[in-house]
Amino acid sequence: MKNMFLRMTMIVAVGVAMHMEASEADQLKSDLVGQCMGGREKCWKFQSLDQIKELVVKDKTEDSQKRVYTVALQLQAAKGSGKYAAEARVEYVKTAAGWKVKQVGLLSLKKSG
Amino acid sequence: MCALILGLLPVGCQTLKQPELGEPLADLTRAQRAQFQEGKKIFQRVFEPKDGLGPLFNGNSCAECHEKPVVGGVGDEVEVHATRFEGPYSCDPLFQEGGPVIQQEATPLLKAKGIEKEQIPPSATAQARRSTPPVFGFGLVDAIPESTILSHEGYPDGRGEAISGRANRTIDGRVGRFGRKAAVAALMDFNAGAFPQEMGVTTPLSPVEETINGTPVPPDTDPAPDPEITVEDIEKVTAFVRYLAPPPRQVFTDSQDRYLAGRGRKLFEYLKCSLCHIPKMTTGPSAVKALNRKTVWLYSDLLLHDMGSQLADICLEQAHPAEFRTELLMGLRYREQFLHDGSAKTVREAIERHGGEARYSRDKFKALRDRDKNALLKFLETI
Repeated sequence: MKNMFLRMTMIVAVGVAMHMEASEADQLKSDLVGQCMGGREKCWKFQSLDQIKELVVKDKTEDSQKRVYTVALQLQAAKGSGKYAAEARVEYVKTAAGWKVKQVGLLSLKKSG
Repeated sequence: MCALILGLLPVGCQTLKQPELGEPLADLTRAQRAQFQEGKKIFQRVFEPKDGLGPLFNGNSCAECHEKPVVGGVGDEVEVHATRFEGPYSCDPLFQEGGPVIQQEATPLLKAKGIEKEQIPPSATAQARRSTPPVFGFGLVDAIPESTILSHEGYPDGRGEAISGRANRTIDGRVGRFGRKAAVAALMDFNAGAFPQEMGVTTPLSPVEETINGTPVPPDTDPAPDPEITVEDIEKVTAFVRYLAPPPRQVFTDSQDRYLAGRGRKLFEYLKCSLCHIPKMTTGPSAVKALNRKTVWLYSDLLLHDMGSQLADICLEQAHPAEFRTELLMGLRYREQFLHDGSAKTVREAIERHGGEARYSRDKFKALRDRDKNALLKFLETI
Protein backbone atom coordinates (compact mmCIF):
# COMPACT_ATOMS: atom_id res chain seq x y z
CA MET A 1 0.00 0.00 0.00
CA LYS A 2 2.85 2.32 0.99
CA ASN A 3 4.77 1.46 -2.24
CA MET A 4 1.67 2.09 -4.29
CA PHE A 5 1.25 5.52 -2.67
CA LEU A 6 4.89 6.42 -3.31
CA ARG A 7 4.63 5.32 -6.94
CA MET A 8 1.46 7.37 -7.44
CA THR A 9 3.08 10.41 -5.82
CA MET A 10 6.11 10.14 -8.09
CA ILE A 11 3.93 9.81 -11.19
CA VAL A 12 1.93 12.88 -10.19
CA ALA A 13 5.13 14.84 -9.42
CA VAL A 14 6.71 13.95 -12.76
CA GLY A 15 3.45 14.83 -14.52
CA VAL A 16 3.26 18.20 -12.77
CA ALA A 17 6.92 18.92 -13.60
CA MET A 18 6.39 18.02 -17.26
CA HIS A 19 3.26 20.12 -17.39
CA MET A 20 5.10 23.09 -15.85
CA GLU A 21 7.93 22.69 -18.37
CA ALA A 22 5.44 22.53 -21.23
CA SER A 23 3.61 25.57 -19.87
CA GLU A 24 6.88 27.46 -19.57
CA ALA A 25 7.85 26.59 -23.16
CA ASP A 26 4.37 27.53 -24.38
CA GLN A 27 4.56 30.81 -22.50
CA LEU A 28 7.98 31.52 -24.02
CA LYS A 29 6.67 30.76 -27.51
CA SER A 30 3.76 33.09 -26.97
CA ASP A 31 6.00 35.85 -25.59
CA LEU A 32 8.37 35.58 -28.55
CA VAL A 33 5.70 36.52 -31.08
CA GLY A 34 6.36 40.10 -32.17
CA GLN A 35 10.02 40.01 -31.11
CA CYS A 36 13.08 40.23 -33.43
CA MET A 37 16.52 38.70 -32.98
CA GLY A 38 19.70 39.10 -34.99
CA GLY A 39 19.99 41.45 -37.94
CA ARG A 40 20.22 41.78 -41.72
CA GLU A 41 20.09 38.40 -43.52
CA LYS A 42 20.62 36.71 -40.16
CA CYS A 43 17.43 38.05 -38.62
CA TRP A 44 14.25 36.40 -37.39
CA LYS A 45 11.06 38.24 -36.58
CA PHE A 46 8.66 35.93 -34.78
CA GLN A 47 5.40 36.65 -36.56
CA SER A 48 3.25 33.74 -35.39
CA LEU A 49 3.32 30.74 -33.09
CA ASP A 50 3.36 28.30 -35.98
CA GLN A 51 6.85 29.50 -37.01
CA ILE A 52 8.24 27.98 -33.79
CA LYS A 53 8.25 24.27 -34.54
CA GLU A 54 10.09 23.41 -31.35
CA LEU A 55 11.36 25.25 -28.28
CA VAL A 56 13.51 23.61 -25.61
CA VAL A 57 14.64 25.48 -22.50
CA LYS A 58 18.36 24.78 -22.05
CA ASP A 59 19.06 27.13 -19.18
CA LYS A 60 17.30 29.59 -16.92
CA THR A 61 18.60 32.15 -14.46
CA GLU A 62 16.52 34.52 -12.40
CA ASP A 63 16.82 37.24 -9.82
CA SER A 64 14.24 39.63 -8.46
CA GLN A 65 14.26 41.90 -11.52
CA LYS A 66 15.56 39.80 -14.40
CA ARG A 67 14.92 36.37 -15.85
CA VAL A 68 17.08 34.97 -18.65
CA TYR A 69 16.37 31.83 -20.66
CA THR A 70 18.66 30.12 -23.14
CA VAL A 71 16.49 28.25 -25.61
CA ALA A 72 17.01 25.97 -28.59
CA LEU A 73 14.57 26.61 -31.43
CA GLN A 74 13.49 24.92 -34.62
CA LEU A 75 12.09 27.60 -36.91
CA GLN A 76 10.31 27.54 -40.22
CA ALA A 77 8.25 30.21 -41.97
CA ALA A 78 5.47 29.38 -44.39
CA LYS A 79 6.93 31.64 -47.07
CA GLY A 80 10.55 31.34 -45.93
CA SER A 81 13.32 29.35 -47.53
CA GLY A 82 13.75 26.33 -45.28
CA LYS A 83 14.18 25.19 -41.70
CA TYR A 84 16.59 26.81 -39.27
CA ALA A 85 18.03 25.68 -35.95
CA ALA A 86 18.69 28.56 -33.61
CA GLU A 87 19.84 29.19 -30.10
CA ALA A 88 18.61 32.35 -28.43
CA ARG A 89 18.82 34.24 -25.17
CA VAL A 90 15.45 35.55 -24.05
CA GLU A 91 15.68 38.28 -21.44
CA TYR A 92 12.67 39.25 -19.31
CA VAL A 93 12.38 42.17 -16.93
CA LYS A 94 9.91 42.55 -14.10
CA THR A 95 7.39 45.32 -14.57
CA ALA A 96 4.35 46.42 -12.60
CA ALA A 97 2.26 44.25 -14.93
CA GLY A 98 4.49 41.19 -14.54
CA TRP A 99 7.38 39.68 -16.51
CA LYS A 100 7.89 41.21 -19.96
CA VAL A 101 10.37 40.26 -22.72
CA LYS A 102 13.02 42.97 -22.90
CA GLN A 103 15.04 41.58 -25.81
CA VAL A 104 15.93 38.40 -27.64
CA GLY A 105 19.55 37.77 -28.58
CA LEU A 106 20.44 35.41 -31.41
CA LEU A 107 23.31 33.20 -30.21
CA SER A 108 23.59 30.90 -33.23
CA LEU A 109 21.72 30.09 -36.41
CA LYS A 110 22.08 27.30 -38.91
CA LYS A 111 20.08 26.15 -41.88
CA SER A 112 18.79 22.70 -41.01
CA GLY A 113 16.68 21.70 -43.98
CA MET B 1 -1.72 79.36 -58.71
CA CYS B 2 -0.23 78.99 -55.26
CA ALA B 3 1.94 82.02 -55.89
CA LEU B 4 -1.09 83.99 -56.97
CA ILE B 5 -3.03 83.07 -53.86
CA LEU B 6 0.10 83.59 -51.80
CA GLY B 7 0.19 87.15 -53.08
CA LEU B 8 -3.35 87.70 -51.84
CA LEU B 9 -3.13 85.64 -48.68
CA PRO B 10 0.41 85.64 -47.36
CA VAL B 11 -0.46 82.97 -44.81
CA GLY B 12 -2.09 79.65 -45.75
CA CYS B 13 -0.36 78.46 -48.91
CA GLN B 14 3.13 77.62 -47.85
CA THR B 15 5.31 75.05 -49.53
CA LEU B 16 8.01 73.25 -47.59
CA LYS B 17 11.56 73.92 -48.67
CA GLN B 18 13.10 70.88 -50.29
CA PRO B 19 15.87 69.54 -48.01
CA GLU B 20 19.43 69.70 -49.26
CA LEU B 21 21.49 66.54 -49.59
CA GLY B 22 22.18 65.05 -46.16
CA GLU B 23 19.44 67.02 -44.42
CA PRO B 24 16.46 65.50 -42.61
CA LEU B 25 12.98 65.21 -44.13
CA ALA B 26 11.14 68.50 -44.27
CA ASP B 27 8.20 68.06 -41.94
CA LEU B 28 9.74 66.34 -38.91
CA THR B 29 8.84 67.42 -35.41
CA ARG B 30 11.45 69.02 -33.20
CA ALA B 31 11.84 65.73 -31.29
CA GLN B 32 12.33 63.78 -34.53
CA ARG B 33 14.96 66.26 -35.70
CA ALA B 34 16.75 65.76 -32.39
CA GLN B 35 16.63 61.97 -32.92
CA PHE B 36 18.08 62.50 -36.41
CA GLN B 37 20.99 64.50 -34.99
CA GLU B 38 21.65 62.00 -32.19
CA GLY B 39 21.57 59.11 -34.62
CA LYS B 40 23.93 60.91 -36.97
CA LYS B 41 26.52 61.10 -34.19
CA ILE B 42 26.40 57.32 -33.69
CA PHE B 43 26.45 56.81 -37.47
CA GLN B 44 29.72 58.77 -37.50
CA ARG B 45 31.14 57.23 -34.33
CA VAL B 46 34.52 55.62 -34.98
CA PHE B 47 34.83 52.35 -33.07
CA GLU B 48 38.13 51.10 -31.76
CA PRO B 49 38.90 47.61 -30.44
CA LYS B 50 38.38 48.83 -26.87
CA ASP B 51 34.84 49.95 -27.85
CA GLY B 52 34.03 46.64 -29.54
CA LEU B 53 35.44 46.96 -33.05
CA GLY B 54 36.19 43.54 -34.52
CA PRO B 55 38.08 41.30 -34.06
CA LEU B 56 36.88 40.88 -37.68
CA PHE B 57 35.34 43.84 -39.47
CA ASN B 58 34.92 45.68 -42.77
CA GLY B 59 34.80 49.27 -41.49
CA ASN B 60 35.19 51.11 -38.19
CA SER B 61 32.08 53.29 -38.53
CA CYS B 62 28.91 53.48 -40.60
CA ALA B 63 30.17 56.72 -42.11
CA GLU B 64 33.44 55.15 -43.23
CA CYS B 65 31.54 53.53 -46.12
CA HIS B 66 28.59 55.95 -46.33
CA GLU B 67 30.52 59.19 -46.60
CA LYS B 68 30.46 60.87 -50.04
CA PRO B 69 29.55 63.56 -50.86
CA VAL B 70 27.99 63.83 -47.37
CA VAL B 71 27.27 61.45 -44.47
CA GLY B 72 24.79 58.82 -45.71
CA GLY B 73 26.26 58.73 -49.20
CA VAL B 74 28.55 56.29 -50.94
CA GLY B 75 32.07 55.02 -50.35
CA ASP B 76 34.71 53.38 -52.49
CA GLU B 77 34.78 50.18 -50.40
CA VAL B 78 33.78 46.94 -52.10
CA GLU B 79 32.77 44.04 -49.87
CA VAL B 80 33.04 40.30 -50.39
CA HIS B 81 30.03 38.02 -49.86
CA ALA B 82 29.71 34.25 -50.36
CA THR B 83 26.91 31.64 -50.14
CA ARG B 84 26.13 28.12 -51.27
CA PHE B 85 23.61 27.64 -54.08
CA GLU B 86 21.99 24.24 -53.91
CA GLY B 87 19.44 25.14 -56.62
CA PRO B 88 16.88 25.44 -57.88
CA TYR B 89 15.07 26.34 -54.65
CA SER B 90 17.71 26.16 -51.96
CA CYS B 91 20.33 28.67 -50.88
CA ASP B 92 22.49 28.22 -47.80
CA PRO B 93 23.76 31.55 -46.37
CA LEU B 94 26.42 29.54 -44.50
CA PHE B 95 25.68 31.07 -41.11
CA GLN B 96 27.54 28.16 -39.48
CA GLU B 97 30.65 29.05 -41.48
CA GLY B 98 30.61 32.74 -40.64
CA GLY B 99 27.68 33.98 -42.74
CA PRO B 100 27.51 35.58 -46.17
CA VAL B 101 29.60 38.68 -45.32
CA ILE B 102 33.30 37.86 -45.49
CA GLN B 103 35.06 40.40 -43.29
CA GLN B 104 38.22 41.79 -44.85
CA GLU B 105 39.91 43.43 -41.85
CA ALA B 106 41.19 42.30 -38.46
CA THR B 107 42.17 44.13 -35.29
CA PRO B 108 45.84 44.07 -34.17
CA LEU B 109 45.06 41.49 -31.46
CA LEU B 110 43.62 39.10 -34.05
CA LYS B 111 46.43 39.79 -36.51
CA ALA B 112 48.86 38.85 -33.75
CA LYS B 113 47.26 35.39 -33.91
CA GLY B 114 48.05 35.21 -37.61
CA ILE B 115 44.50 35.98 -38.80
CA GLU B 116 44.35 38.86 -41.29
CA LYS B 117 40.77 38.42 -42.55
CA GLU B 118 37.98 35.91 -42.99
CA GLN B 119 38.29 33.38 -45.80
CA ILE B 120 35.72 32.29 -48.39
CA PRO B 121 34.09 29.21 -46.77
CA PRO B 122 35.05 25.93 -48.51
CA SER B 123 31.39 25.00 -49.04
CA ALA B 124 30.55 28.29 -50.81
CA THR B 125 29.65 27.85 -54.46
CA ALA B 126 30.15 31.50 -55.42
CA GLN B 127 31.42 34.82 -54.14
CA ALA B 128 30.27 38.36 -54.90
CA ARG B 129 31.51 41.93 -54.67
CA ARG B 130 29.23 44.58 -53.21
CA SER B 131 29.65 48.35 -53.42
CA THR B 132 28.15 50.73 -50.87
CA PRO B 133 24.77 52.23 -51.79
CA PRO B 134 23.74 55.69 -50.58
CA VAL B 135 21.03 55.53 -47.89
CA PHE B 136 19.26 58.82 -48.68
CA GLY B 137 15.49 58.39 -48.56
CA PHE B 138 15.64 54.86 -47.13
CA GLY B 139 13.08 55.73 -44.43
CA LEU B 140 10.54 56.36 -47.15
CA VAL B 141 11.44 53.07 -48.85
CA ASP B 142 11.01 51.32 -45.48
CA ALA B 143 7.52 52.81 -45.20
CA ILE B 144 6.23 51.39 -48.49
CA PRO B 145 3.67 48.68 -47.68
CA GLU B 146 4.50 45.06 -48.55
CA SER B 147 1.25 44.95 -50.52
CA THR B 148 2.50 47.71 -52.82
CA ILE B 149 5.66 45.76 -53.61
CA LEU B 150 3.71 42.55 -54.19
CA SER B 151 1.27 44.36 -56.49
CA HIS B 152 4.08 44.79 -59.04
CA GLU B 153 4.95 41.07 -59.16
CA GLY B 154 4.41 39.29 -62.45
CA TYR B 155 4.61 40.72 -65.93
CA PRO B 156 4.53 44.51 -65.93
CA ASP B 157 4.28 44.78 -69.71
CA GLY B 158 1.13 42.69 -69.57
CA ARG B 159 2.16 40.37 -72.36
CA GLY B 160 3.93 37.73 -70.35
CA GLU B 161 7.11 38.34 -72.26
CA ALA B 162 10.64 38.92 -71.13
CA ILE B 163 10.16 40.87 -67.89
CA SER B 164 8.83 39.26 -64.72
CA GLY B 165 9.60 40.46 -61.21
CA ARG B 166 9.15 38.55 -57.98
CA ALA B 167 9.66 39.49 -54.36
CA ASN B 168 12.46 37.96 -52.35
CA ARG B 169 11.57 36.63 -48.90
CA THR B 170 13.64 36.78 -45.75
CA ILE B 171 14.34 33.55 -43.88
CA ASP B 172 11.33 34.34 -41.67
CA GLY B 173 9.08 34.82 -44.71
CA ARG B 174 8.73 38.61 -44.87
CA VAL B 175 8.99 40.51 -48.15
CA GLY B 176 12.57 41.69 -48.64
CA ARG B 177 13.41 45.14 -49.97
CA PHE B 178 16.90 46.22 -48.79
CA GLY B 179 20.21 44.92 -50.10
CA ARG B 180 21.22 44.08 -53.67
CA LYS B 181 19.24 40.83 -53.48
CA ALA B 182 16.36 42.30 -51.40
CA ALA B 183 17.18 39.86 -48.60
CA VAL B 184 16.37 42.27 -45.74
CA ALA B 185 12.84 43.34 -44.87
CA ALA B 186 13.24 46.40 -42.67
CA LEU B 187 15.58 49.29 -41.97
CA MET B 188 15.91 48.39 -38.29
CA ASP B 189 16.92 44.82 -39.24
CA PHE B 190 19.51 46.17 -41.67
CA ASN B 191 21.08 48.48 -39.12
CA ALA B 192 20.93 45.89 -36.34
CA GLY B 193 22.88 43.52 -38.57
CA ALA B 194 25.36 46.08 -39.86
CA PHE B 195 26.97 46.54 -36.43
CA PRO B 196 28.02 42.90 -35.92
CA GLN B 197 28.57 42.03 -39.57
CA GLU B 198 30.37 45.16 -40.79
CA MET B 199 32.06 46.42 -37.62
CA GLY B 200 32.21 43.34 -35.40
CA VAL B 201 30.23 45.25 -32.77
CA THR B 202 27.91 42.98 -30.78
CA THR B 203 24.41 44.10 -29.84
CA PRO B 204 21.76 42.74 -27.47
CA LEU B 205 20.06 41.27 -30.57
CA SER B 206 23.34 39.64 -31.73
CA PRO B 207 25.23 39.28 -28.45
CA VAL B 208 27.87 36.84 -29.70
CA GLU B 209 30.82 37.86 -31.88
CA GLU B 210 30.73 36.82 -35.52
CA THR B 211 32.81 33.67 -35.93
CA ILE B 212 35.87 33.28 -38.09
CA ASN B 213 34.48 30.91 -40.70
CA GLY B 214 32.55 29.13 -37.96
CA THR B 215 35.30 29.10 -35.32
CA PRO B 216 34.74 31.36 -32.29
CA VAL B 217 37.19 34.25 -32.01
CA PRO B 218 40.11 33.59 -29.65
CA PRO B 219 39.01 34.86 -26.20
CA ASP B 220 41.87 37.29 -25.66
CA THR B 221 41.29 39.13 -28.95
CA ASP B 222 38.08 40.90 -27.96
CA PRO B 223 38.63 43.19 -24.96
CA ALA B 224 35.19 44.87 -24.88
CA PRO B 225 32.40 43.19 -22.90
CA ASP B 226 29.35 42.05 -24.90
CA PRO B 227 27.00 43.51 -25.94
CA GLU B 228 29.14 46.36 -27.23
CA ILE B 229 26.27 48.75 -28.01
CA THR B 230 22.66 49.04 -26.84
CA VAL B 231 19.39 48.56 -28.70
CA GLU B 232 18.75 52.26 -28.06
CA ASP B 233 21.88 53.12 -30.06
CA ILE B 234 20.68 50.99 -32.98
CA GLU B 235 17.31 52.74 -32.78
CA LYS B 236 19.04 56.13 -32.88
CA VAL B 237 21.06 55.19 -35.97
CA THR B 238 17.86 53.87 -37.54
CA ALA B 239 16.14 57.18 -36.78
CA PHE B 240 18.97 59.01 -38.57
CA VAL B 241 18.63 56.87 -41.70
CA ARG B 242 14.82 56.84 -41.48
CA TYR B 243 14.63 60.63 -41.41
CA LEU B 244 17.39 61.25 -43.97
CA ALA B 245 15.70 63.00 -46.88
CA PRO B 246 15.92 61.69 -50.45
CA PRO B 247 18.32 63.64 -52.67
CA PRO B 248 16.84 66.80 -54.16
CA ARG B 249 16.07 66.48 -57.84
CA GLN B 250 18.56 68.31 -60.05
CA VAL B 251 16.97 71.15 -61.99
CA PHE B 252 19.10 72.34 -64.90
CA THR B 253 19.38 76.08 -65.44
CA ASP B 254 20.59 75.65 -69.02
CA SER B 255 17.65 75.36 -71.43
CA GLN B 256 19.43 72.84 -73.67
CA ASP B 257 20.09 70.57 -70.66
CA ARG B 258 16.45 70.92 -69.61
CA TYR B 259 15.31 69.97 -73.09
CA LEU B 260 17.64 66.95 -73.22
CA ALA B 261 16.56 65.76 -69.75
CA GLY B 262 12.91 66.05 -70.75
CA ARG B 263 13.55 64.01 -73.89
CA GLY B 264 15.55 61.51 -71.84
CA ARG B 265 12.62 61.03 -69.47
CA LYS B 266 10.44 60.02 -72.42
CA LEU B 267 13.15 57.66 -73.68
CA PHE B 268 13.29 56.09 -70.21
CA GLU B 269 9.66 55.10 -70.76
CA TYR B 270 10.12 54.18 -74.44
CA LEU B 271 13.03 51.84 -73.70
CA LYS B 272 10.89 50.23 -70.96
CA CYS B 273 13.49 51.02 -68.29
CA SER B 274 10.54 52.21 -66.21
CA LEU B 275 8.92 48.76 -66.15
CA CYS B 276 11.44 47.68 -63.50
CA HIS B 277 12.82 51.07 -62.44
CA ILE B 278 9.29 52.16 -61.48
CA PRO B 279 9.66 55.89 -60.85
CA LYS B 280 7.53 56.26 -57.75
CA MET B 281 5.63 54.49 -55.00
CA THR B 282 3.59 55.76 -52.05
CA THR B 283 4.30 55.05 -48.41
CA GLY B 284 1.58 53.61 -46.19
CA PRO B 285 -0.07 55.20 -43.19
CA SER B 286 2.48 56.24 -40.58
CA ALA B 287 2.39 57.95 -37.22
CA VAL B 288 5.36 59.97 -38.47
CA LYS B 289 3.90 62.78 -40.56
CA ALA B 290 7.00 63.00 -42.75
CA LEU B 291 6.56 59.33 -43.75
CA ASN B 292 2.76 59.23 -43.91
CA ARG B 293 1.39 58.53 -47.42
CA LYS B 294 4.33 60.22 -49.14
CA THR B 295 5.46 59.80 -52.73
CA VAL B 296 8.90 58.20 -52.98
CA TRP B 297 10.80 58.71 -56.24
CA LEU B 298 12.83 55.53 -55.86
CA TYR B 299 13.01 54.26 -59.49
CA SER B 300 12.74 50.61 -58.48
CA ASP B 301 10.04 47.96 -58.12
CA LEU B 302 12.04 46.41 -55.24
CA LEU B 303 11.59 43.04 -56.97
CA LEU B 304 14.05 40.44 -58.21
CA HIS B 305 14.77 40.15 -61.91
CA ASP B 306 17.04 37.83 -63.86
CA MET B 307 19.93 39.99 -65.04
CA GLY B 308 21.68 37.33 -67.08
CA SER B 309 24.61 35.00 -66.60
CA GLN B 310 27.27 37.71 -67.09
CA LEU B 311 26.24 39.49 -63.89
CA ALA B 312 25.30 36.38 -61.86
CA ASP B 313 27.10 35.82 -58.57
CA ILE B 314 25.66 34.48 -55.28
CA CYS B 315 22.21 33.29 -54.25
CA LEU B 316 20.66 34.91 -51.18
CA GLU B 317 17.47 33.67 -49.49
CA GLN B 318 15.18 32.97 -52.46
CA ALA B 319 17.17 34.99 -55.00
CA HIS B 320 19.01 32.88 -57.56
CA PRO B 321 22.59 33.82 -58.56
CA ALA B 322 21.40 35.75 -61.65
CA GLU B 323 18.57 37.55 -59.85
CA PHE B 324 19.04 41.05 -58.45
CA ARG B 325 16.64 43.53 -56.95
CA THR B 326 16.06 46.41 -59.34
CA GLU B 327 18.61 48.95 -58.20
CA LEU B 328 17.18 52.14 -56.75
CA LEU B 329 18.21 55.02 -58.97
CA MET B 330 17.35 57.58 -56.28
CA GLY B 331 20.60 59.50 -55.78
CA LEU B 332 22.20 58.00 -58.89
CA ARG B 333 24.07 61.19 -59.72
CA TYR B 334 26.00 61.00 -56.45
CA ARG B 335 27.39 57.54 -57.16
CA GLU B 336 30.95 57.07 -58.32
CA GLN B 337 30.77 53.39 -59.29
CA PHE B 338 27.89 51.45 -60.76
CA LEU B 339 26.22 48.02 -60.77
CA HIS B 340 25.98 45.94 -57.58
CA ASP B 341 29.71 45.28 -57.51
CA GLY B 342 30.93 48.72 -58.51
CA SER B 343 32.57 47.28 -61.60
CA ALA B 344 30.97 49.73 -64.05
CA LYS B 345 32.73 53.08 -64.16
CA THR B 346 29.91 55.01 -65.85
CA VAL B 347 26.12 54.90 -66.01
CA ARG B 348 26.40 54.18 -69.73
CA GLU B 349 28.60 51.14 -69.07
CA ALA B 350 26.13 49.91 -66.44
CA ILE B 351 23.24 50.15 -68.92
CA GLU B 352 25.23 48.36 -71.60
CA ARG B 353 26.02 45.51 -69.22
CA HIS B 354 22.39 44.84 -68.30
CA GLY B 355 21.39 41.34 -69.42
CA GLY B 356 18.65 38.76 -68.90
CA GLU B 357 15.26 40.43 -68.58
CA ALA B 358 16.83 43.82 -69.34
CA ARG B 359 18.37 42.82 -72.67
CA TYR B 360 15.52 44.37 -74.67
CA SER B 361 16.07 47.76 -73.06
CA ARG B 362 19.83 47.42 -73.31
CA ASP B 363 19.70 46.60 -77.01
CA LYS B 364 17.29 49.46 -77.67
CA PHE B 365 19.63 51.80 -75.81
CA LYS B 366 22.63 50.61 -77.82
CA ALA B 367 20.71 51.23 -81.03
CA LEU B 368 19.89 54.85 -80.14
CA ARG B 369 21.62 57.76 -81.87
CA ASP B 370 24.28 59.42 -79.72
CA ARG B 371 22.06 62.44 -79.20
CA ASP B 372 19.32 60.26 -77.73
CA LYS B 373 21.74 58.30 -75.59
CA ASN B 374 22.98 61.62 -74.19
CA ALA B 375 19.40 62.67 -73.56
CA LEU B 376 18.71 59.55 -71.48
CA LEU B 377 21.94 60.03 -69.54
CA LYS B 378 21.07 63.70 -68.99
CA PHE B 379 17.71 62.65 -67.54
CA LEU B 380 19.49 60.22 -65.19
CA GLU B 381 21.63 63.12 -63.99
CA THR B 382 18.47 64.72 -62.59
CA ILE B 383 17.73 61.80 -60.23
